[in-house]
Amino acid sequence: MSAPVSPIREPLVTGHKTYHQITEDLISPTEKTPSLAWVIGFIISAIFLGVFVFTVLWTIYQGIGTWNLNRTVGWGWDITNFVWWVGIGHAGTLISAILLIFRQKWRTGVNRAAEAMTIFAVICAGQFPLIHMGRIWMGFFIFPYPNTRGPLWPNFNSPLLWDVFAISTYFTVSLLFWYTGLVPDFATVRDRAKGIRKKIYNFLSFGWTGSAKHWQRWESLSLILAGLSTPLVLSVHTIVSFDFATSVIPGWHTTIFPPYFVAGAIFSGFAMVQTLMLVTRKVLHLEDYITIEHIESMNKVILLTGTIVGVAYITELFIAWYSGYIYEQFAFFNRVFGPYWWSYFGMMFCNVVSPQLYWKKSWRRNMILTFFLSIVINIGMWFERFVIIATTLARDYLPSSWSYYSPTWVEIGIFMGSLGLFFFCYLIFTRVAPVVAVAEIKAILKTSGDQYAGKNAVHAHSHDDEHSEVDAH
Amino acid sequence: MEKVQTNIWIGQEDLENGDKFIELANQEFSLVESVSDERNQNLFASNRRDFLKYLGFGLGAATMAAGCDIPVKRAIPYVVKPDAIVPGVATYYASSYVDGGDYAAILVKTRDGRPIKIEGNDLAPAGWGSTSARVQASVLGLYDTNRLATPIKKSGTDHMAVSWADLDADMIKSLATATNVRILKSTTISPTGNKALGEFVAKYPSTKVVSIDDQSYAGLLDANQASFGVRVIPGYNFDKAEVIVSFGADFLGTWVAPSKFAGDYVKMRQIKDVNAPKMSRHIQVESGMTLTGSNADNRILVRPSEQGAAISHLYNEIVGGGAPSAGLNEKAKKSLTVVAGELKAAAGKSLVVAGSNNMAEQLLINAINNALSNYGATIDFSQAILTKQGDDAGFAALLAEMKAGSVDLLIVDGANPVYSQAKGKEFATALAKVKTKIAIGLSKDETSSLCDYIATKPHFLESWGDAQPTATTISLIQPTIAPLFDSRQAELSYLTWAQSANLVATDQPYFEYLKANWQATAFAAQSEFATFDSFWDNALQLGVLPTPSSVSAGAFSGDVSASFGNVTKPGKSEIEISFYESISLGNGQYATNPWLQEMPNPIDRTVWGNYLAVPVNFDGYHTMEGLNKLVDGDLVKLTVGGEEFTVPVIQQFGQMPGTVAIAMGYGRTEAGACGTGVGVDVNPHRTMAGAYAQPFNTQVTVSNKIGKEDHFSCVQYHHTMGVKGEDKASGQTINADEAATVFFDYFTGIKGFQGSLTERSIIYTANTDEVKEKAEILHKKREHAQFLNSKQIYGGHDYNYASGHHWGMHIDLNACIGCGACTVACMSENNVPVVGKREVARHHEMTWLRIDRYYYGDVENPSTVYQPMMCQHCDNAPCENVCPVNATNHSSEGLNQMTYNRCIGTRYCANNCPYKVRRFNWLDYTTADTFPANQIKKFGEEIPFGAENLTRMVLNPDVTVRSKGVIEKCSFCVQRLQEGKLTAKREGRGLRDADVKTACQTSCPTGAITFGDMNSKDMLAEKLENPLNYIVLEEINVRPSVNYTMRITNKNEAIDA
Repeated sequence: MSAPVSPIREPLVTGHKTYHQITEDLISPTEKTPSLAWVIGFIISAIFLGVFVFTVLWTIYQGIGTWNLNRTVGWGWDITNFVWWVGIGHAGTLISAILLIFRQKWRTGVNRAAEAMTIFAVICAGQFPLIHMGRIWMGFFIFPYPNTRGPLWPNFNSPLLWDVFAISTYFTVSLLFWYTGLVPDFATVRDRAKGIRKKIYNFLSFGWTGSAKHWQRWESLSLILAGLSTPLVLSVHTIVSFDFATSVIPGWHTTIFPPYFVAGAIFSGFAMVQTLMLVTRKVLHLEDYITIEHIESMNKVILLTGTIVGVAYITELFIAWYSGYIYEQFAFFNRVFGPYWWSYFGMMFCNVVSPQLYWKKSWRRNMILTFFLSIVINIGMWFERFVIIATTLARDYLPSSWSYYSPTWVEIGIFMGSLGLFFFCYLIFTRVAPVVAVAEIKAILKTSGDQYAGKNAVHAHSHDDEHSEVDAH
Repeated sequence: MEKVQTNIWIGQEDLENGDKFIELANQEFSLVESVSDERNQNLFASNRRDFLKYLGFGLGAATMAAGCDIPVKRAIPYVVKPDAIVPGVATYYASSYVDGGDYAAILVKTRDGRPIKIEGNDLAPAGWGSTSARVQASVLGLYDTNRLATPIKKSGTDHMAVSWADLDADMIKSLATATNVRILKSTTISPTGNKALGEFVAKYPSTKVVSIDDQSYAGLLDANQASFGVRVIPGYNFDKAEVIVSFGADFLGTWVAPSKFAGDYVKMRQIKDVNAPKMSRHIQVESGMTLTGSNADNRILVRPSEQGAAISHLYNEIVGGGAPSAGLNEKAKKSLTVVAGELKAAAGKSLVVAGSNNMAEQLLINAINNALSNYGATIDFSQAILTKQGDDAGFAALLAEMKAGSVDLLIVDGANPVYSQAKGKEFATALAKVKTKIAIGLSKDETSSLCDYIATKPHFLESWGDAQPTATTISLIQPTIAPLFDSRQAELSYLTWAQSANLVATDQPYFEYLKANWQATAFAAQSEFATFDSFWDNALQLGVLPTPSSVSAGAFSGDVSASFGNVTKPGKSEIEISFYESISLGNGQYATNPWLQEMPNPIDRTVWGNYLAVPVNFDGYHTMEGLNKLVDGDLVKLTVGGEEFTVPVIQQFGQMPGTVAIAMGYGRTEAGACGTGVGVDVNPHRTMAGAYAQPFNTQVTVSNKIGKEDHFSCVQYHHTMGVKGEDKASGQTINADEAATVFFDYFTGIKGFQGSLTERSIIYTANTDEVKEKAEILHKKREHAQFLNSKQIYGGHDYNYASGHHWGMHIDLNACIGCGACTVACMSENNVPVVGKREVARHHEMTWLRIDRYYYGDVENPSTVYQPMMCQHCDNAPCENVCPVNATNHSSEGLNQMTYNRCIGTRYCANNCPYKVRRFNWLDYTTADTFPANQIKKFGEEIPFGAENLTRMVLNPDVTVRSKGVIEKCSFCVQRLQEGKLTAKREGRGLRDADVKTACQTSCPTGAITFGDMNSKDMLAEKLENPLNYIVLEEINVRPSVNYTMRITNKNEAIDA
């Protein structure tokens, strides 16, 4: 937190906040009765969650035959949703780990919510590998546990097994990271609370006292966890992409998949953060903490990753042509012009064309456009996974087996339901924990808050040395 | 005990060392004694330990009693074990399949007294022991839940059970007073059965017997009567014919004896020398695509009503002197002239057949064959085929009599004229005028439900009997299970009603009657066996015996001048429809069999219904355009002869423009839960030429699309592998189907990706004049693929399979005619579930073995190739490494194995299978699972198909029944491999390929499939040396164990020109 204040950077906390004001602003949403908007949102989410529970039980009871998958297309919306949710879950770790290591101060405004989003997205993602199993009650076979069958181990060659490890590791580390950050904030909530709430938050904050030693350990732990989870940002979606890349199916068997999937994941993750943040800041009146500056920073990431994804799409097409391999060539030809042309078109438009609007600064800073595009991008990223999975499988090697796939109401219900599960968790989160990291905001207030930054801006040219000294404290 | 050491003590007592202490110390088990003492004193008092003991036992016992419902096992051991039944070992009985005009010499596999599988009988002469899909599926008919359990009698509008004694009493009473008795039966080829019938006729002399066939051959029979004085179908030697011309005769699919013909036919279709390829030429003249037409080298398209003109034209070209053939399309005329030249050049080695049921046309065919000197060479009356003897004129006469009310008593035996005859509806009305009607059959059908009595007969697997399929062959039918229901054989009924003196009162009177007849006939005619018992045992064991030919045809009587006037006159309507016999269902007689309903029609690959085949052409842009712009699965209004049907459509390549086609055998109204209401019935709309029903109609309209079929059950959506059409923009010939893979061109005008289908290494084809070049290209392509594969970094496991057994298969695409017998055999052998129409429409079919069918060549009149596709048992299997739980893995013998118990159903393996042969149990298809909710009721029945104990009797106990949520696939019949290995081991010798034959292999009538050990120098090894062999998708290095042979045609371009 000792970087010099840049005279040209915009402040990250506006409204001339004091430390107490920050506490008031950020902690109070957990103390007040929920707003009408929250209640309506919560009811809708709960209904969708109910749909999720029902459709999942229906699938388990009746069989996977309630879905429209077939002998040719063995995965459809199920794995599309899985990859989509895992992808969304990438922004949290990126913000909390990589941006922490790169000392990006703007992360403090959004990291808490982004991490929460990560956790809930991974929870949603984790549902799909389970419920897509034909015999979920035998699902424990995938865990390498000692048994009396030989012992019989899972197949360590299988990317699906790697998924199990990758996702569970990612979930564990993300959860630890998120909770570590929450400890001092829970302590703040506790200090303001009374009665049973105080006891609960006291338990949740592990008896945090705010001593220097606590802060020191907290800082070290945060850095260690950041170090641990940095490779995870790259590895998780790499491993998810191995589900496809290690297969023999043309259109799946592609070496570009790992970087392309990671870029896509960050892309969709930031889009989802935007969707959530824009609503959260409005509803909880956090405009001073999640500023236009934050929005713009994230839009820049979206522009970068969206362009990377676009380059990847074009590279894929080029390599397919260049390969001279008829199956590969046809697979990509079919993606673009085949029966699923609309999903490829949708993917291209949403993921490659739409983020290009962000080259213009005023559009990057336009709330309405940002909100709209964040949703467009997530639709596009869903299409991307659908294109990769369904389009590829529907027309592979043997034309005799070519087929077409469209979902049943059960599959649609499970997807909509998973959105319900996600927002249900997120809405509860906004009620029980500060959605912006209080301690971390306070830490940057003096370097990036507007009153300080403002003064600095005025004296910036003549008092450079003096400010360096101040910052050193 | 004295104290030895005083400086060490334990406790105060020890230190003091008093008397009491010494006493205690001497008692080694003092504590135990004291406890038991205590218990003896207080028998009913308990301590803490007892309390825990009782509590533990009580809890455990209660849990056991409450929680474990011990299942009742109804396995009762034999008191005296029958010799023939060894638990776990199959017993085979030689028998004969005689049903609906089909005959096959078979072996019946029984396990624990249950017939579970039909195999062909190799001892049968000249291909009569090969099986078709119908023969394979017949075992399921035995366990048909729709079968009648007792004889029944009409009461009101319904039927009620009746005892045999009452039925016989009623019958004998009715017969005694009847003055005009008629028997309408399907062709009987049983010598003993005919003797029994003879006794009946002798007893009641007013009786007249009329034979009909479900699909009439009366035109052919009557023509032979006129030409040669014998009313039989001659033996056709397709294995001696170098030029075969067929006018609409589907002799590989349905015509007369397709399995036998197919076996003979492919003998002339093998390429023995790649440098000098030689094979027969087969020209099919037809309007719609038939199985035979799809195998032909050249197809000449004529409208159904032009058939007569086409035959006349050929007659004029070969014999000359006939009336001019007006109305034949010019193209066909030119083609037939070329064909005539070929035929003349191959005189005596050619064969002309016609499927026509028009006597005049068949007379012309006889004249053509006679002029070509084919009689005695490729056509042999001494080998006459007796399975079809139906008499259309006799039926017409019977119908007239019935309408006149002059028939007192009618016995309908094994026939269903109300459904199968063109005048069926008239027959049904006339039936009301017959005083007493009795049907003999297995279950209720359209005819028997109108009768006063149904005398239930046993399934042929429960019957004794004999059969004479050809003039020179007799065979026996023996029961392989005790009758499941209260049924009686038709022959026995006749004898009973005739009050025959030859009937012996035993448990099996007809068995004695049969033996007596054989003793008097077949035994008397032979000299090999001295006693009848040894002769009989031998005959039963062999199943088939030769007999001196009973047919001698006269010389051809040449006058056919009257025929020209009687051939079919070309119609003038805009559109014509042809009706074809379904390969699986015949003319509806097999509609009650779910295996056959679910067997895809080899041509259009549809199941569970009849689909209107409409012609299709390339629009020159990127659409395959059907008649009236119809596409697969559209519903249309079809009007035929005034009746309106709503039928789904399928685009049929090779269908002549201006014609449509639909299968007969569907739309039955009384065919049990499985067959009732499946498809539409077009039987009544056949055109009548005198008494002969012609399978076409010219009064037909086809509407535009009126809707979409709810469950469009076609197992193949993409039909072609490079059909050529003209690109309108450039005027060049392009692969039209590749252009048609484009769904949206973003207004760029992109035309598909040329080569995207034809460059795939799935199908290789060549015409005879280019075999050498194509073989070289194939060789180069394979070499390149193998070179690339050798560059893999990963070493692989090939060394594992270099020694011991390494199972492999060879499939000869030149021998495969696509008949589908193997697919049904596979279902039967491997307990593959039937999933029903709705599920097939969702591509949930479970078949382990399918026959892919691709069209190639000219888009309007393409060639066809069939490719049986099953698990390729790759030695570098992509499915194996992706399974997270090792549920599929490789055996040391090169088998790709499925462990159902381990499978959790991620379907990753199915996705990663390049051949898409893995099948997933989407729902509880086998009813093996515990949730009743997911047992789907396919036919609207109360208990799902397969859940009935009766149906379950057909299951092969050697093969696991799979549950919901697991993947399954072809296992190379691993249970048979194990059995073969055990046989070899028991006999102390090495394994031969002949020991292990897969179900598909044994069922194939043409021997297209060879299975064996790739490491041995046996049958398979010979096949693997063929230079035309290839491996499907060799370049992806999955190392499959199945080899295919290039498909060769012998097309004469001059015919198509």
